[in-house]
Order: sequence, then C-alpha cells, then structure tokens
Amino acid sequence: MTGRATGPATALASLLRGAAGAVRVRAAAVLLGAGSLVWAALPAVHRGDATFALDVAIAGVAAGGLRLALAAVPVPEESYWPSPGVRAWRIVLDLVRHVPWEEGAVIGIAWLEVLHPSRPWHTAVLGAGLIAYLLITHLAESDAPLAALRPQARVLALGAVLLALGAGAGMLPAAGPGAGSALLRLVAAGALIAAAGLVLPSIARDV
Amino acid sequence: MIPNGPAAPVASAEIELRWRSSRHARRLLTLGLTGLFIAVLARRPEFAGLAAPALVLLAAGRHGRQLPRIIVRAKPTTWRAFEDERLAVDVTADGTGDCSVRWRLHPGVEIAPVGATAADGRQARFVVTPERWGRRQIGTLEVTLRDRWRLAEGRATMTLPRLDCYPAPARQRTTVVLRRLPNRLGEHPARVAGEGIEFSGVREYVPGDRQRSINWAASTRRGRLQVNTFAAERSQDVVLLVDATSDVGEPGSSALDLALRGAGAAARAYTDARDRVGAITYQWGGSSWLAPGLGRRQVYRIIDSMLASDAGYARGASFARLPRAALPPGALVVVFSPLLDQRFVEALRDMRERGFSMLVVDVLNTEPPPRRRAEDRIARRIWRMEQDAIRFSLRELGIPVVHWDGEEPLDLPLAAYTRRPMAARR
Repeated sequence: MTGRATGPATALASLLRGAAGAVRVRAAAVLLGAGSLVWAALPAVHRGDATFALDVAIAGVAAGGLRLALAAVPVPEESYWPSPGVRAWRIVLDLVRHVPWEEGAVIGIAWLEVLHPSRPWHTAVLGAGLIAYLLITHLAESDAPLAALRPQARVLALGAVLLALGAGAGMLPAAGPGAGSALLRLVAAGALIAAAGLVLPSIARDV
Repeated sequence: MIPNGPAAPVASAEIELRWRSSRHARRLLTLGLTGLFIAVLARRPEFAGLAAPALVLLAAGRHGRQLPRIIVRAKPTTWRAFEDERLAVDVTADGTGDCSVRWRLHPGVEIAPVGATAADGRQARFVVTPERWGRRQIGTLEVTLRDRWRLAEGRATMTLPRLDCYPAPARQRTTVVLRRLPNRLGEHPARVAGEGIEFSGVREYVPGDRQRSINWAASTRRGRLQVNTFAAERSQDVVLLVDATSDVGEPGSSALDLALRGAGAAARAYTDARDRVGAITYQWGGSSWLAPGLGRRQVYRIIDSMLASDAGYARGASFARLPRAALPPGALVVVFSPLLDQRFVEALRDMRERGFSMLVVDVLNTEPPPRRRAEDRIARRIWRMEQDAIRFSLRELGIPVVHWDGEEPLDLPLAAYTRRPMAARR
C-alpha cells in the first residue's frame, strides 16, 4: 500500500488488487499452518498428551489465521462508558492480537510430531512446511511482497541443506551402526552446534 | 482539493528508535529452540534439522546489522483549515539506510483520515480533514523501520503539529444596515446628502456647486438651474456577540457550532461591505473581545478569538464593563445565542436599554428529549413557554429575534432587516 494518491479509477483498481493479494497471502498462511498440523498429526496417536498437543496446535493455527483476518479491523475508540458489546469486542481483539498464537502452533505441531515414531524425511518435510508457514505469516501481517524474502534465498537454501542433513542423520540408525554413520552424525551435530553458536549470543543480548 | 494555506511549520526531529526483535524473529526463535530442545531430549537428530533453517536465518540476519538513527520531517500543507477542508501531511525519513520504512498515522480527536492511514517508503503523504472547529492536534505518526532481514523492528512515535480548524462559515451576502450611521466614509448610503453615487434628489443651484452636477432636464423644466444631490456613504461598526455558555445539540450542529459558523459568515459579509467588525465572546467567568477593525485579516482575527471559546471558560473582562473600544457607541450588535442563559438575556436587555441597536440570531435547534411521564411532558411544555417568553420579552424591547437552523443561508432569516435600514430605537 502506498500513500501517493492517483486517479480515482486507478486507485480503486489498485485497492482491489491489493485486497485480493492480501487475502491470497493470508489464506496461504492459514493453509500452510493447517497442512503442517495435519502432516504432523497423522496417523493419529492416542497417547496421553496427544489430544492436548493437538488442541494447542489447532487453537494456534486457527487464532493465528483469525489475527491475520482481523488485522485491518480498527479497535473501537476509547469512550467514558463503553457498552458491554464494545468492551467484549475490545477484549477479543486484544486477545487475538497480543497472544503469540503462531508460537503456540509451532510448539504444538512439533510436539505432535515427536509423539510419532522416528520418521526423519516426514519430519524434514514438516520442517519445511513450518518455516514456510512462519515466513508467509510474516509477509501477510506486514503486507510485504514475496520479493521481500529475496535477500534471504541463499540462507534459506543453506537451511534446507541442513534440514536434509538432519533428516539424513536421523535415518542413519536404521542403516545400522558404523564408522560412516558416526561421522555423518558428528557432522550434523557440528553444523547444528555452529548454527546455535551463531545465534545464541545475539539472543542473550536481546534478553 | 488540498488548500495551500499559510505555510505550516515543519516538524522535524531526530528520532531515537526503540529497536527490538520482530514478531517474525521471535517465531523463528521459538521454532529453532523447540527443535533443538526436542532433538536433545528425544535424541532425534531430525528435529535438530527442523530447527536449522530458523536458526540459520536468525544468525545471518544478525551478522553485520547496523541500526540507524533517523531524522523525520512532517510538514502539513497548512496549519489553518476550515471544517471538512482537506489538508495533506508530507512525511520524510532521512538516514534510514537499507531499512524499509512503514508509516502509520493515528489521527487526533475530530480529525478524519481521507484514504490510507498507512504507507511504505521513505516519503509518504497522508490526507486528513478536520471534522469540527477548534485547535486540534493532527495526530501522531508512528514510524516503523525493519532491517533488511525483517528480524529487528525500530519504532518511534512523533506528534504532528497543531491545526487551527475554523468553523465552516455559513452563507451570507446581504447585511443589516443601521438607519443612523456614524460620520465615517464607507459604502452604505446614508440619509444625509453627501458625495456618494446614489441619487438622492434635486435642489436649486447655489454658487460653489460643481457644473457637472447640474441636472439640465430639471433646470429646463423649472426655468432655474437645478443640481443633483447624492446620499453620503458611510460605514458602520458591527459587533458580533457570540454566546459560548451553552453548547447544546448534536456535535457538529450544536448551538455553539451554529453560533460560530454564523458569526464567521457575518464577519465576512460585513468586512466585504467595508464595515468595521469586532467580536465579543461571552463565556462563563468573563468575556473575550476584539475591537472592531477592517479587512479580511480581521475575519481571521475574529475567528481566532472565538476559537478560544472551545475551552468554555475564560478569565476575561466583565461583560457588564466592556470598554468603548470593544463596544463602540452606535454600533450594530448582532447576537448569536440559543438564549438559554438567563444572565446573558439580562445582559442583552441591559445593552438595549443603553441604546445599542441589536439583532438576535437564535441558534437553538434542540429541545429536551420527549418522555412518557406526565410530569416530564409538563416540564417540557413549561420550558417551551419560558423560551417563548424570553423571545417575546426581547421583541417587546425592540430587539428583533430571528431563528436560524444552520442549513439555510443567513440571508433568509435576516431578509426582513436587510431590505431596508434598521431603525435604531432609543
């Protein structure tokens, strides 16, 4: 969205195009979240905390989608004595906008996945789905174009390699113990430690 | 149409941004830490792989990041506007580096945005319109900078300059003119002979009369030289008296809104007729006044002085002891009032008894709400009768009272008094 005014017809057409684009991106974010959830949840697991994890994930994805849908809805203006309906609506908007729903969804989905027996490539696909879900959600909430991710393409490619490496490392026990598998696990662990080492100091600065 | 009013001051400030991790970064961090945590606890390396893209993105985004300090300039196209007039605010951010900039306008009270309230880019333009008169803040401007990787957000808020919003003047073309005008040059034909252009009559020639004023037709008929006489042209003093004690009715068309719009229209009409126009605003605790003056600039001075009535209370001069400069003898006093305050009505009677020529424009367009109870209905009828009695008593004193609904031009209710000069009864 830009602030420069143009002719009324052009402005209307641009507004409609922008609205259609925003709806598409929001729908894509919700579909990616729902797809990741279903991918992690199936086949259904009937262990103790699976239901709770499923509830958390569903709530996170649904409320995250609701937050994106209500992003343009203005908060009712402050008044001295608002009606109960207005107060309830304010509470709903606050709840939807300020709770980190996507984080809840990610934790719930990862939890669902860990309840299954080891399935490394399945988990790798889930990882790709989750990272796509987070990226598209960010684009949707900031009304940014897809091109905003272009500078990150190489890093995302590196992430995909590490994802595949992790999945490969997860498959190694199935191939049996040996010197090669130990080496690969060592490489995978080293890569992860290096990644964590790069990011943790800055996290500490933030905190 | 964006007006080009008086140049507005540019609000410029070096802004200290509050930087923090973006929501996007926090989500990536959650994914990364969750994956690592599960990988360690469950001894499943594929979850470490799941965490890797998020962690790599975070790490790469942190590398070599410089968080800038920026200078924001905000310049409204004008700092004076009438109600419902559009004005634009141009905003610019300097020193943003390779960060993306997003602007969000939070309009102030009674300021309505026209079009988008959010914009991207180093420069943006927001169009707003003030909905109601008064001295108002245009609003606040929120600027958000995102780094190249969109992992850090810097936010700052800037208060936009103040706007003087004038009441949209009503339509008035005609003016009420007194029968007795002060001896000062102007544009109203007086009842005495003078050097004006309006024909007054014919009289016999006396030595010293100009030859060009001889009326040859009349001279031929009467057999003696006759000369044309003309009416003198005079100006008058007009004082606009605005009752700001009662503001009843719907916001936007309340009694005070109508009073100010009517007074604005009258100020324009009388200054266009080369009259000297002043204003008195009657408020609780005193009154503020502006001595009569000439010219279009005086119109803005009058409106500026009336805008102070927004506060509803003024510690000004006592209304009973206004100086001659505020209320010159022989001035026409045009009153805009809902006539709800008994003390104000008494002050009008007092002024009339002191010999001022007055005309009241009644701007009351609301009534107490109807209720079912009989006592309430009786109270409502009594209130109406009291209001009628107040207007009747003023008319009996020789003060014309006309009602104005705020919709029609002021010329219509004033028509009976603008057709011929108004008698100044003593």
